[in-house]
Amino acid sequence: MDDPVLIVGDRVTAATREVLEAGVSLGMARREAEALAPFATVLVRDPGEESRRFEPVVGLIEDLIPRVEVVAPGLIFVPVAGAVRFYGGEEALAKRLAEELNGLVGRDRGGQALIGVADGPFAARWAAAGSEGGRPLVVTDTIDFLSRLDLTALREGLEADELIDTFRWLGVSTLGDLARLPRDALATRFGNHGLLAHRLATGEDRFVDPREIPPDLAVDASFEEPLESLDAVAFASHALAERLLRALRVSGVAPHRVSIFAEDAAGGSRERIWRSADPFTEKALSDRVWWQLRAWVESGGIPGGISRLRIAPADLSDEGRQLGLLQDETSRIDAERALARAQALLGPDGVLQGRAQGGRMPQERVAWSRWGEPLSDRERDDSAPWPGATPSPSPALVPPSPESLEVEWDGGMPSRVRLGTRWEPVLTWSGPWRLSGRWWAGEEDADRYQLVTSVGAFLCVVTGGRAFLAGVYD
Amino acid sequence: MGLEDVVTAVPLIDLADREKGFLQLRPGHVTELLGIPGTGLTRLGLRLLAAPSQTAPVVALDTRGWISPEAAWETGVVPESLVIVRCAEPRIWPKVAAALLEGVRALYAEVPAEAREQDLRRLAALARARKVAVAMRPMGRGLPSGVAHLRLRALGVTWEGADQGHGRLGRRRLMLEASGKGASGMTRRFEVEDEGSDFVRVVSDVVVGEARRTVG
Repeated sequence: MDDPVLIVGDRVTAATREVLEAGVSLGMARREAEALAPFATVLVRDPGEESRRFEPVVGLIEDLIPRVEVVAPGLIFVPVAGAVRFYGGEEALAKRLAEELNGLVGRDRGGQALIGVADGPFAARWAAAGSEGGRPLVVTDTIDFLSRLDLTALREGLEADELIDTFRWLGVSTLGDLARLPRDALATRFGNHGLLAHRLATGEDRFVDPREIPPDLAVDASFEEPLESLDAVAFASHALAERLLRALRVSGVAPHRVSIFAEDAAGGSRERIWRSADPFTEKALSDRVWWQLRAWVESGGIPGGISRLRIAPADLSDEGRQLGLLQDETSRIDAERALARAQALLGPDGVLQGRAQGGRMPQERVAWSRWGEPLSDRERDDSAPWPGATPSPSPALVPPSPESLEVEWDGGMPSRVRLGTRWEPVLTWSGPWRLSGRWWAGEEDADRYQLVTSVGAFLCVVTGGRAFLAGVYD
Repeated sequence: MGLEDVVTAVPLIDLADREKGFLQLRPGHVTELLGIPGTGLTRLGLRLLAAPSQTAPVVALDTRGWISPEAAWETGVVPESLVIVRCAEPRIWPKVAAALLEGVRALYAEVPAEAREQDLRRLAALARARKVAVAMRPMGRGLPSGVAHLRLRALGVTWEGADQGHGRLGRRRLMLEASGKGASGMTRRFEVEDEGSDFVRVVSDVVVGEARRTVG
């Protein structure tokens, strides 16, 4: 396609070269991207359609190597231990795959397959990203390969941007630097995420012990009248996904990989494994089952319709992003739906999350971000000492900007404060504490007081002869 | 002998433990925090979210745009779990509150003075149905009867630490009165001592009396 195109969900997921050159980047908010590239045709991402279009690629790989794992349309992991022996080595296998795939994607889509071979999916994914000119990158020393990767490589495997920022702040810039740190110390300081980061950095992505899967955890359904219409397939896939997860929840486990098996009216069968970084939720699983079945049905892979459908957890291990020990995944998903509804009622600025940052005044010490968007960068380093910062306890109520406050002074000491229509005597106070302003930016020095009245305590700032309310100790 | 020594004495712990239960939100129940601004009820309301925030996202519904998450973090609320929802428009406040009750496990909500009785009753019913633990802080008069399972009314607050320009605010003592079904239909008074950390000391009224007599 020659026209400039922007593919979006909530954020930019893909763009043509011309659009990227206009300053758009992947992951950028949709509105921002549209403003930067008004000339681009904007298309909304359709994972189902992507899945359908990707199906020939999966099918081709499956013909060469059985048991592929589909992570998302566009990304597949293939265990190659057996195939390597069959094809006579990793190089030969990768070359054969590249030829077949380049024939397909080059012919049909004008694209190029990226292939990487390494010990473990994480390393293989980055090896594929590093392959050039359609030539596969076969990594012979995975540890060495990983050690040279920048720390940002962890973003996809970990989804813990803050942890990565912390590592960088500590002087760790590559996975090699991270791998050299003691694992125990990382686990103690950063918990599961720290442990998983170290595992990935040391190439131990594969060395997890899959939990044994009891055979009765699989769910299946047989249909006397084979399902041919997409509506019927959608309904069946949703019901089956729901059944599987309900049964698994009772056992207290959640799958990261599932096997989807379909039998056609003539007795033929297809099977595909889907993988997710997060444990599958009902929606995520039923989406993937639906995408897969739709792709099979529309590509004619299920002649005569589906007569039997089976979904089985393929892995209940701790691969992928782990939840904290006490975290409740269902609660998180329910809460996200509720917050999205609240955001629809109030607008994006009505639902916020804060994170600590440095500063001397309470207003400065919180970096606000819209909920659902990446956390905003800290304007001030919160690990710096900040001498003269207002001490804890912090006021629970902080006006967005200091509000005018009437204070009566007696010999330089606060004696009364006006609250609404009443004057309240100041029972006691602490301060003044000097707050030196940035004189070069035209800011004046100020004095801070904590005023205690019979109805509560207040943080007050006096500058230029006027008093302002900076917080209420409510 | 200080107050701290007395409340750790074995026969008195049970008395204070009973009041500590008032400082825990219960799924499906509304706890009302009643009192004028400045008494420390915002901090107390945020503190009630600390336990639920360990396992799931929690929400503070802010009608004034003034709630500071920093105070919540100090009381033990998990920073990543706290979401602040700002709703200054009383007209849509019931819709926003209802939307939140549909999905979150724990909610601290400031209630605008204009909130209608029928909306509050519906919200309480929704909290019961969805088993959401709710703390409501009315900005005007108290909640209609029957809405709150437990009412905590602030009777007064005293501060220690600041002294005519010296020191700084340190320990706060908040005297509360618990009433309603959650207090077994009785009215109980107790004191909450808060030193700005994630720990509070709860002293039952009876214990305070004992302590003062002992000290005296």
